[in-house]
Amino acid sequence: MQPTMDRREREGLPQAPRLVSGDLPPEEPIPSYTGPSFVTDDPELSRLTPAELYELNQGMLNDAVPDRPLIDQLKHIAVLRSEYEHGTPAFLQQIDYLRSQGYNGIRRTRGDGDCFYRSLAFAFVERLMNSEEEELEFSVMSAISTLESVLPMLEAAGFQKLVYEDFYETFVSIIKQIVEPDRLDHSNLTPALLLEAFQSPEVSNSVVVFLRLLTSAQIRTDPDSYADFLFNPELGEPMAPREFCESFVEAVGKEADHVQMTALSRALNVNFSVAYLDGRSKDGTVDFVQFDSGNDYGSEPMVLLYRPGHYDILERRSQEPLE
Amino acid sequence: MASISARRLRKELSEIHVEGCPVGINLLSADNFEQWLLSLEVMGESQYPGEVFALKFRFDPNYPISSPAVQFVVDGKYTSPVHPHVYSNGHICASILGNEWSPVLSVIGICVTLQSMLASCKKKERPQDNDRYVLHAPDNPKKTRFHYDVDTV
Repeated sequence: MQPTMDRREREGLPQAPRLVSGDLPPEEPIPSYTGPSFVTDDPELSRLTPAELYELNQGMLNDAVPDRPLIDQLKHIAVLRSEYEHGTPAFLQQIDYLRSQGYNGIRRTRGDGDCFYRSLAFAFVERLMNSEEEELEFSVMSAISTLESVLPMLEAAGFQKLVYEDFYETFVSIIKQIVEPDRLDHSNLTPALLLEAFQSPEVSNSVVVFLRLLTSAQIRTDPDSYADFLFNPELGEPMAPREFCESFVEAVGKEADHVQMTALSRALNVNFSVAYLDGRSKDGTVDFVQFDSGNDYGSEPMVLLYRPGHYDILERRSQEPLE
Repeated sequence: MASISARRLRKELSEIHVEGCPVGINLLSADNFEQWLLSLEVMGESQYPGEVFALKFRFDPNYPISSPAVQFVVDGKYTSPVHPHVYSNGHICASILGNEWSPVLSVIGICVTLQSMLASCKKKERPQDNDRYVLHAPDNPKKTRFHYDVDTV
């Protein structure tokens, strides 16, 4: 854990490849680094690699644009398409394919490395909220009892109660609000209140942390199921479950990959699928990867949209329900 | 509603009062939810026999989602431990305080981790870029982007 750059440079070692965790989809303009003009007081800057500079830039951009919402309103997928019009046709073809499959809307999340967890949490609550009237109460109670039932797993994974309970309570109180008025809002959860909650960093990030802990606990308490799939995403080396969870699941802002998604599907007992919009399809279709470790057969799975390094929510509706 | 940092720190504080601190760690001051001071001593055989250090924790309202700013106190009474990951101004290069921060860690958890970092020290020396770093270091160590080796501590 000592500063490595100097040593690497001195010994002429190449910089280890780093994943850019800036997390922006490729078609959005990559801010070009035009010299140290905005951070001239930092002599270290000139020693950074382009990848590190890019990452630094991303961090600063996110800091500098605090009003970029953590999660945005539902937008028509044509908005996404228009951003690719000057890009590769492969993406356009794939977006058209998604439309032909009935996906008309996209709900975007901020590219902060928490986007998978945030997207899934939002979609999870929204789907509960959209349950059929006669099933609403049952769906909400089932979800809450699932969450209650994972608490012993969190304990078994070695997390102290004081570590998880605030995050747990935040998540559960949003779900409860679907069926009973909240003390603060004096209202049941509406689409607008849900969006507001997930745009508030305090609530939104608490839910993200809770899902991270849940994912980690699932892996830690069932290491045999996951051990063969735990690799350091930066170095490609196998990792022990505990180290993997500490560095790449529990740590804030670390992106989720297949293993984390599988574990969370199992822990939350839900199914979802991920549409891979990667511009690589030969026939212009989009692969949907299913995560169906849950038991909620019957209901349509939630769908996330993956573009390299980033997750958003894919929807059949193209605009917010009027309410 | 109290900020998440106040809710969490209140619980951490009550746990410290109920269960006490691990050996070698003591609470020096915690009379608000912005800044705490704890003392740290390495028990058993080590490079630091008899040396007592103080750690300053600064919390923003998003703790524990955001990491606390943690540094060794350097004043008339305390000094910064001589260690390859600790700068003479008290700043600490440890990935758990930076890009590997997780809300699973608590104040005491951090103290224990730093205690074992000191305990496993083989040779008392400063980071190689100490002088250059200290010259330009920001007041808040969280504003520094340290580069971490794959854990060698």
